[in-house]
Amino acid sequence: MRVVIAEDAAMMREGLVRLLTDRGFDVCAAVADADTLRSAVAALVPDVAVVDIRMPPTHTDEGLRAAIDIRRDQPGVGVLVFSQYVETRYATRLLADRPSGVGYLLKDRVADVADFVDALTRVASGGTALDPEVVGHLMRAGRDTAGLTALTPREREVLSLMAEGRSNAGIAAALVITAGVVEKHVANIFAKLGLPPSDGDNRRVLAVLRHLGS
Amino acid sequence: MTDDNGPMTALRAPFTTPALRQAAFCVVGVFSAAAVLVVPALVPGLGVLCLWATGAMSREPAPTVAPPFLVLFPLTVALLVVVAAPTGRAMGAVHRRLASRLLGVYVEAPPPRASKRLGALVSDGPGWRAVGYGLLKVPLAVPQGYGVFCYVFGLVNLSYPLWWPMFRNHPPGTRLGPVWALTPFGAIGTRTFAGTFLVAAAGLAMLLVAPWVMRAGTTADVAAMRWLLGPRRLAERVRELQASRAQAIDDAATMMRRLERDLHDGAQVRLATLAMNLGMATEKLGVDGPPPDLAQARELIALAHRGAKDALADLRDLVRGIHPPVLDNGLGDALTTLATGSAVPVVVTVELPDRPAPAIETIAYFCAAELLANAAKHSRATRVGLGVLGSRRRLMLSVTDDGNGGADPDGPGLAGLARRIAVVDGVMRVLSPAGGPTRVDIELPTHV
Repeated sequence: MRVVIAEDAAMMREGLVRLLTDRGFDVCAAVADADTLRSAVAALVPDVAVVDIRMPPTHTDEGLRAAIDIRRDQPGVGVLVFSQYVETRYATRLLADRPSGVGYLLKDRVADVADFVDALTRVASGGTALDPEVVGHLMRAGRDTAGLTALTPREREVLSLMAEGRSNAGIAAALVITAGVVEKHVANIFAKLGLPPSDGDNRRVLAVLRHLGS
Repeated sequence: MTDDNGPMTALRAPFTTPALRQAAFCVVGVFSAAAVLVVPALVPGLGVLCLWATGAMSREPAPTVAPPFLVLFPLTVALLVVVAAPTGRAMGAVHRRLASRLLGVYVEAPPPRASKRLGALVSDGPGWRAVGYGLLKVPLAVPQGYGVFCYVFGLVNLSYPLWWPMFRNHPPGTRLGPVWALTPFGAIGTRTFAGTFLVAAAGLAMLLVAPWVMRAGTTADVAAMRWLLGPRRLAERVRELQASRAQAIDDAATMMRRLERDLHDGAQVRLATLAMNLGMATEKLGVDGPPPDLAQARELIALAHRGAKDALADLRDLVRGIHPPVLDNGLGDALTTLATGSAVPVVVTVELPDRPAPAIETIAYFCAAELLANAAKHSRATRVGLGVLGSRRRLMLSVTDDGNGGADPDGPGLAGLARRIAVVDGVMRVLSPAGGPTRVDIELPTHV
């Protein structure tokens, strides 16, 4: 799997290269600013790009803007945006058109290597990876308006994991339950929230996020 | 004067340098008062002169006076209104300089005029206050003039017995008019040599009284200067405080932004990398049983260890930048510690009777740090002096160096410093001629 990394802190960039190489990814470019990222992605067409939000020259949101451009110009390239803090508004901007092949994670998540690699793989293969923090914000914001009070605590957990972009198998593994139980929970949630049942993970995420009002 | 002997001091008072300087100030004061009276009269006077010259003032035909008068009068008033404030400012500046040269009294300059436009010229508050000072100068000049009169004619009268034998060596029986001498109580005349001693006694009395009269005049004048020529009137004070408050808020916001940036790019990156390395190491060590890749795990843990130490160092630097812990022991200790870290040798002298407020200590510390850094970076100095001298109310921080001078008080560094100390009513003076040496004095209140 081919990866381009855009991160301005050299220490972090090298660490990521090492981590991903070690995990069998092919890191074809590691750059330090948004413009180089755009040209690298255009030239190399990787499966996924890992993009830091704050990069030179303004250190505000150039990474995010580059990520949005890449998603528009090269729909085949997955984009995992990566930051030291999460802004729900940024997530909304990223997911604006379609919640596929996109991720938004806190940098802290690299500490759990397996989870991080899993999220990256998901994004690269057209899935979604939303940080639990973002999902938490959305869940809190939608608690009253989206009818979440009707859900059991377990169902709310499952909903969060669904919103993060995980598959049934992933949810089952995270909650240490069987896939069958997960399916039952999912069906209950969709029924309670009045959502039409949908099969694909992406369509499901979209439905959930729309429902949460992102 | 160290002599505490009362009568001797009183006798010597007229002949000391301060008395002479005071006299000079009083003489200028009298001329200024005369100018204040005469100059505004000049313009209408000239107008009248013109009218007279053109014959308009002649009795016939009378009605021709009216049109030129109608034009000239408002013109004169308008001219006076426009010219008054800048003239007042100029006169105020001269008097402030005179006070600092002759009386050793420093009166702060008022804030400069807002703009060069005509409106700003007319609505110039400090300018009009200076005009007020000019008008007040007229009554103030009375004791000053009186003092100068006593001084000069005291000397003249005192010398009468010397002149008498030279000019009045007339044969006995000659009848001459009396010799007149001027005193504050009118002219006294004498026809005899003995009488001149009476005049001399009056002169001595005048001479002894003169310094005190002049001092009264200059003291009142200095009070008027501080009141009308200085920058402190309530409205201006409010404006100043508004500006300094805005500055303080800006500074705080900038500081927070810089902190965020420093943490984001420094400690936070290091800690994230550290967590990543530890995460990788954990994987290399496996869940249980013999580790699958011990060598790599060791390397990653060593990397993480180094990262943790770097993160600590980063945080330590950041914390010191926020508030140097050594400041808790007082400014003296903090400045000595600061000096030992300087690239150029620094001689530190600190004389503080009491500890200033913590905020003032912090400001003084960061000013010293910036000035030392400036001296090390730009001046090519070989020695730097760092002095702190405190009284109960004010603290003077001075940084001197023997470098090549040319420090620009309006440059970003020093101007920023001046703005920051202005927040607590501090004042900065920079003396840095090209070629050096440089001296920067910062005066701060000891309490906010």
